Amino acid sequence: MSDTTPVAPAEAQALLDRAEHLSRSAHNATRWPYITFILALGVATSMGTLAMGLTTGNAFGLAYFGTLTATFALIMFFMITIRGRSAFARGRRWTAYIASWFVTYAAAISVVIWAHGSVLASGITSALILVVTMACAAREARS
Amino acid sequence: MTAIEQHPRHRLDELLQNPVRFSIVAALDRASTLSFKEVRDVVEITDSALSKQVSLLEGAGYLAVGKSFAGKMPRTSLTLTREGRAAWKAHLATLREIAQGLS
Repeated sequence: MSDTTPVAPAEAQALLDRAEHLSRSAHNATRWPYITFILALGVATSMGTLAMGLTTGNAFGLAYFGTLTATFALIMFFMITIRGRSAFARGRRWTAYIASWFVTYAAAISVVIWAHGSVLASGITSALILVVTMACAAREARS
Repeated sequence: MTAIEQHPRHRLDELLQNPVRFSIVAALDRASTLSFKEVRDVVEITDSALSKQVSLLEGAGYLAVGKSFAGKMPRTSLTLTREGRAAWKAHLATLREIAQGLS
């Protein structure tokens, strides 16, 4: 198409439809490992920090190592799944999601360290991890 | 300014009127960054054809091409730049204008 080639309204609409289809296809093909990872990370760390905040002794040790193992397994699975892919690699959205998770996780770990045994504080911070990561996953799934 | 010059088609981005380049930028619209392989699979073209069009888009500043290695395997990533996104949005806006028959 050049300046001398008229673009008919029907042709313009077909191009718009094609652009929408391609954009959605490319995004759908790449985003699910990321959505799954952020959701699973949220669930694992939320449950883990809640268990760590409310238990002592062997139960605390089990919760601690269980959370570490689950998180490590998730990261390994994620790294293998996205191997060779570049989607989200430099994305601001993805960076924002991970930063949001990290802030809530740091708050929950702070409660485990400095307010150990507080049901209210543990419940709020662990729930916050879950809410934030679910919101990130939902936003990505609906985009 | 003549009546012909006022037609919205004159505002269409010259570079994005090529079907392959149009498809490449469309694929990167939501995802922002994709690997060369991912774009090739979505657009359904050969490596050499994609490479040629990517070079043109990179030259125009619409795409940023990243090179890295995953082990011994070279990995190329394609990212839509701010300039490329602006051009793409303007191109789509013009197409919408034409589609609505507002000319």
